[in-house]
Amino acid sequence: MRIQTIVSLVLAAFAAGACSKLEEKPESFLVTEQFYQNQNQAEAAVTANYRKLYESGQSLYNSLFQIGVEMATDDYEAGPRARNAHVRAISGLTHDASNDRMEQLWKQSYDGINTANIAIDRIALIDAAKIDAAVRTRLINEAKFLRALHYFNLVRWFGPVPLVLHETTSLSAENLYVAKATEEAVYQQIITDLTDAEKLPKRATYASADLGRATSGAAKSLLAKVYLTQKDWKNAVLKSKDVIDNEGYALFENFADVFAVATKNGKEHIFSAQFKGNSGYQGNSLASRSAPADVPGINGDYADALHAAGKLYESFSASDTRRTVTFVTEIVSPVDGRLYKLAAPQFHKYYDESVVGNQGQSSKNLPIIRYAEVLLIYAEALNEDNNGPTDEAYRAIDEVRQRAHITKLKDIAPALSRNAFRDSVFQERRKELVFEYQRWFDLARRGADYYVATLKAAGKTMAAPKHIHFPTPQREINLNLKLKQHPDWLN
Amino acid sequence: MQNLAKASRAIHALAFRNRYVLRSSVIATLFFLPQLLQAQSKPLINSTLRGRVTDARTKEPLAGASIKIEGVTNQTQTDAEGRFTLITGQSFPYNLLISSIGYQDVKVTANGSPLTVELTEAANDLNGVVVVGYGTRKRGDVTGAIASVSQAALKQPVSSLDQALKGAATGVQVTQTSGQPGGGVSIRIRGGASIQGGNEPLYVVDGFPLYNSAASTGALSGTPTNPLASINPADIESVDILKDASATAIYGSRGANGVVIITTKKGKADRNNINFETSYGMQTVRKKIDVLGAKDFAILRNEVLYSTTPAAGKYQYLSQQQIDQLGEGTNWQNAAFRKAPLQSHQLSVSGGSAKVQYLLSGNYYKQEGIIKNTDFSRLSLRANVDARPGDHLKTGVSLAISGSKANIAPSGIIGSLLIMPPTATIYEPDGSYTLRNPFENIFANPIATLNETSNKSNINRLLGTAYAEYTIARNLAVKVLAGADVSNQKDKYYVPSAIYEGAGPKGTASLGSSNYNSWLNENTITYNKSFGKHAIDALAGFTQQEATNESFIAGAQNFVSDDLTYNNLGSGATLVRPASDTYSWVLHSYLGRVNYSYNNLYYLTASIRRDGSSRFGKNNKWGNFPSLAASWKISNEDFFKPLLKHVTDLKIRSSFGTTGNLEIGQYQSLSTLYSLNYIFGGSILTGFAPNRVPNDNLGWETTYQYDAGIDVGLFSNRLLVSLDAYYKKTNDLLLNVEIPWTTGYASSLQNFGSVENKGLELGIKTKNIVRKNFSWETDLNISFNRNKVLTIGNGASSYISGNYVIQVGQPLGTFYGTITDGILQTGEETAKGKFTGSATPKPGDRLYKDVSGDGAFTTAADRAIIGNAQPDFIYGIINNLSWKGFDLSVLLQGVYGNQIINSNRQTLEMFTGQQNASVTALDRWTETNPSTTIPRAKLDPAPIFSDRFVEDGSFLRVKNINLSYALPKTLLTKANLTAVSVFVSAQNLLTFTKYTGFDPEVTSGSNVSPGTDSGIYPVAKTFNAGLRVSF
Repeated sequence: MRIQTIVSLVLAAFAAGACSKLEEKPESFLVTEQFYQNQNQAEAAVTANYRKLYESGQSLYNSLFQIGVEMATDDYEAGPRARNAHVRAISGLTHDASNDRMEQLWKQSYDGINTANIAIDRIALIDAAKIDAAVRTRLINEAKFLRALHYFNLVRWFGPVPLVLHETTSLSAENLYVAKATEEAVYQQIITDLTDAEKLPKRATYASADLGRATSGAAKSLLAKVYLTQKDWKNAVLKSKDVIDNEGYALFENFADVFAVATKNGKEHIFSAQFKGNSGYQGNSLASRSAPADVPGINGDYADALHAAGKLYESFSASDTRRTVTFVTEIVSPVDGRLYKLAAPQFHKYYDESVVGNQGQSSKNLPIIRYAEVLLIYAEALNEDNNGPTDEAYRAIDEVRQRAHITKLKDIAPALSRNAFRDSVFQERRKELVFEYQRWFDLARRGADYYVATLKAAGKTMAAPKHIHFPTPQREINLNLKLKQHPDWLN
Repeated sequence: MQNLAKASRAIHALAFRNRYVLRSSVIATLFFLPQLLQAQSKPLINSTLRGRVTDARTKEPLAGASIKIEGVTNQTQTDAEGRFTLITGQSFPYNLLISSIGYQDVKVTANGSPLTVELTEAANDLNGVVVVGYGTRKRGDVTGAIASVSQAALKQPVSSLDQALKGAATGVQVTQTSGQPGGGVSIRIRGGASIQGGNEPLYVVDGFPLYNSAASTGALSGTPTNPLASINPADIESVDILKDASATAIYGSRGANGVVIITTKKGKADRNNINFETSYGMQTVRKKIDVLGAKDFAILRNEVLYSTTPAAGKYQYLSQQQIDQLGEGTNWQNAAFRKAPLQSHQLSVSGGSAKVQYLLSGNYYKQEGIIKNTDFSRLSLRANVDARPGDHLKTGVSLAISGSKANIAPSGIIGSLLIMPPTATIYEPDGSYTLRNPFENIFANPIATLNETSNKSNINRLLGTAYAEYTIARNLAVKVLAGADVSNQKDKYYVPSAIYEGAGPKGTASLGSSNYNSWLNENTITYNKSFGKHAIDALAGFTQQEATNESFIAGAQNFVSDDLTYNNLGSGATLVRPASDTYSWVLHSYLGRVNYSYNNLYYLTASIRRDGSSRFGKNNKWGNFPSLAASWKISNEDFFKPLLKHVTDLKIRSSFGTTGNLEIGQYQSLSTLYSLNYIFGGSILTGFAPNRVPNDNLGWETTYQYDAGIDVGLFSNRLLVSLDAYYKKTNDLLLNVEIPWTTGYASSLQNFGSVENKGLELGIKTKNIVRKNFSWETDLNISFNRNKVLTIGNGASSYISGNYVIQVGQPLGTFYGTITDGILQTGEETAKGKFTGSATPKPGDRLYKDVSGDGAFTTAADRAIIGNAQPDFIYGIINNLSWKGFDLSVLLQGVYGNQIINSNRQTLEMFTGQQNASVTALDRWTETNPSTTIPRAKLDPAPIFSDRFVEDGSFLRVKNINLSYALPKTLLTKANLTAVSVFVSAQNLLTFTKYTGFDPEVTSGSNVSPGTDSGIYPVAKTFNAGLRVSF
């Protein structure tokens, strides 16, 4: 009896003890199920989308474009301190499907796309009482803009790619294994998303606290570039003209202001990756990657270097105000005060004078698309569409040239052929957009012959027609049997 | 094998993965057993014997001793005061067999009441006690596979107990992951079974289960200290290692990697003792790596620069005249390695009465590292008290408090010491530090880093358990145990602006703190009863354990002065974003075990544990882990009697069961969000995004293990042989399965795949010479384990992870790389150039085998299996000799048949002229020295992992020699001393190996990539001397 009493007491204690829960309730994490319920959370979801432009380390718009893409052009090479074999392989055009920088391009872009898909799918489901209708539409369209930007990069780098348009919510086969869509289908989706994103507010209607978000002007400008890449000249003309006429952008009078911290998100900036050093946040790492390494106190990495044989520096005339903003040829050491001449010009666009010696904290934004480029898109598309340059085409390119204090093209070559004008526009793009992640795209979209000839002329003798695309990462092909290598990259 | 598969399926069927509540039925059965068993018919009474059983030495009463009449089934047990009453149908005189766990059996003739019997404590042989989960057993009665670590191994001067396990027991492979003072080890019991989950065993310290997972708060650079180092090894009485499922299943979802049970020393009644022990030692690095001196390096660099830009001539770095003037240059290893002292002082007081026993101890341990500015020190206190306040109540506490401090080697320091050019100097002519490798930015001056960086970790820990055990009835006891493990860690880091790493940010400080809090409650009920030839003891219980960890890290940069280091973060002009984190886990368990024996012949053990863990997916919270074991003591059979003269003991045993592994960290089944920020309008906004795909089905890894063993004692147990064979299959591996990046994620944690381990373990103990003044004992253990990946899920047959491949049919830790094929010679460019992997092949480039046979070499396509980190066998031999007052113990430890990836060597054989190179560079290919094994020097060689960097990792080492001398008693009594001894010892005195790195005892510690030696802090060679005094 005594035993029974004790046994039942102990059993009761057991039962009581078992009451505490085994469910996991993380206190320092949120989980998906409890999130995406109201406007604040919808905004946070879209903020995350923007961060996927460059998340951490060597990330898309914070140096990965440079080391994973631009190295494969006539203007750039792996600098003296770029020791990574994968980077040097791209620079020397010996990269293959296992190149880890290229894997990162693919991986980070799809990460950005999934994050955009989450925002697009989930914000649409938020209870109408918990979110303002206009904000809902705006946030979804911001995500669509970013999704389109990632797909636009992917289709240009890799050609046909899987087109994933919804969040990965489970490990089902249809979520895991997606075949490639045709380039046409990818472009169609990009156009659809950007057309929706055109409904975003204009730059002027955003509050100053929202500067940096995608705008209707950004969507239209990117769309103009998409049409241009597709050689849909008519639409490229229409869209770029729409931006020029209706969105209220203009060039800075002074080219240096394009990259000045004080004039961030100014009238010329249409869409930029935002950086802020020394704030517990992140700086633009191109600044330190291009800064001199051997000058005392500068502490640069000098990993992203000018490819001298491409003669980019020499292509600038001495009067061109862009040259001194773009390059540095001598620099004063903050340690000994001496002026050091550099062995070769080094890129200087993102060098932040307020953080000498610690360029990792450069606060300079990286333009993704800016008004000068829209003018050049307009000039190029007009020339192609009209089988030769129109006056308006000349006016567009000369607006860019005048700002740089070089002679108007109209004055030196008023009657260029279609081909010659095209060359002029590309040459202008090359000089205007140095170190802005544009060169590889410009070379690749002119076709394999042009790309190979240009690179060979610049001494990169390994260049081959297949290099106007990157190989689909071998890892992806191994994991997803539905995926095939790009035909140019099949041995 | 097919039968095994069947058996494992059957066990699987038993182990209902969820849903069914076994709890009520199992526990009810166990609890009502007593009533069932008491319902027996009364025997005829011819005599009543009353008596008492006591400890021969302490005269303390022995509870639970069994008193058995020889030849019949009648037996009884002593109560808490050692008293017993035996009512029997036998008449006096008759023979009694009296036994108690931990004591030698005694046979006496009973002539009448009262009878007092004294039992003598058993030495560590078959009568010795083995600590099992939630109890103890006599070694001879054990049905499972349990190894006890010898005292010779436990007496080594080590910073943490796990280091003492090297070579000390069968089936236990111990490898150092860092030779840093207080550094960690990796332990594999019967092979590693998990790919992604933990592989380290569960430790149970005086009843408190814990894992030894080192964690940095994130503030430090380098390997954090080993948490087990906070437990003073000198306080440890015994270490028992549970290996098979019968032994480990009682730990359920934490048993799959084996269990190490640590019991600390306790006071003994009427043996009041003051012990003082002090020792002092000196450590050195075993060897240094031969690298180029300044002249040879300058020649190499000139050669590289010339081959890169021939137009600039042959002396682009230094002229011949400058080279001739160079001395040896800077020897970076000599500048960093040092002779490092080691000291330990221990004072303990123990004793007590029959009612209360106590042990108090204090220890100070300090070990300087063989690399400058690294060390570990620990101050620890312990109080172990047991009391018997009433006839039916026993209670006790075991409590340890320790504070340890470490200066940790910053990460990458070893690699940096090796590759710094000898032409670079430590200091500039003006006395300031040279900042970095003049040719490559990322490599800072390692001596400046060592001297100037503060990289400190302080851990204060309290670990203790307290229990009360109440004897409800003669055979029934209830025990409640509570325990706590509270650990506070503070990491402090400062890089001054005077050195390269700190120059850019103008000083970097960070502070990290973490508070770990784990508490335990165990409620168990035990019942034991003998009736006739049957004996049963049963255990049932409910336990709960919870843990919470809270951590934060903060930092700042840009300091005006380096003087304040990390002590005033607010004075930094640039604040580093702070971070904080917390996690918790809960484990609820029901457990039950029944040991049954028949006539000391047949033994059966059945156990089950039901675990509910917070860590798993919501569809998979609970799991059952049953086991069954049987043994047969053949030597107790009547028919065996004629053989007893030679074979003293013979037992066969067998067990099978299931255990689990839940070491996956917290919240892995959930789609958790993480914060990430972006800037709008110049201000930072916080965003959230998920970091994984949810997996509601996530569960534990299940290991099915079958074990068969035989224990033989020959010639009065002067030769004990124990042989075990086992087969272990682990299913539902927790794998971070790689998934296509198009999902937005890189991998997902899933239960996929299986791995098997099978092996043989042989332990032999011999008493070679037993004389009054001279004895020699040998203890030999050798273990063979074969590991194989059976499936890795997703239809995949292999996946590559860096230099490793996880491939079906191959063991874990398989190296995957290219195969070298000589050197490209002049004139062979067109024929063989495509096998160099270089776009512009030149004579002197290394050639590789075209494994894929496609006519060209590429790193991606032409890799093969080129080695493995799994040894063929591991072994240890301990010899103990004593002659008069001298005691000599020699522990040899060996590993045979494994390979090591010498990653340091790969770096040193790059010959870039940007960093220093191995002396093999002297034999490099040049036009005048057309080497066929060593390639030419060039600026940008691709870092290709090949078989050249895979080395034989076998070694045999004299792990420990200890010679002690005890002063004769006659001398001591005058001075009122009980014992005084002096000792000298040496660790790692001699090592026989072909491995060319610092030390063959290395591993990277990860499951997927064991056996890589990449900048690992080398294990030291130590000489030690000390004194022990007892009052």
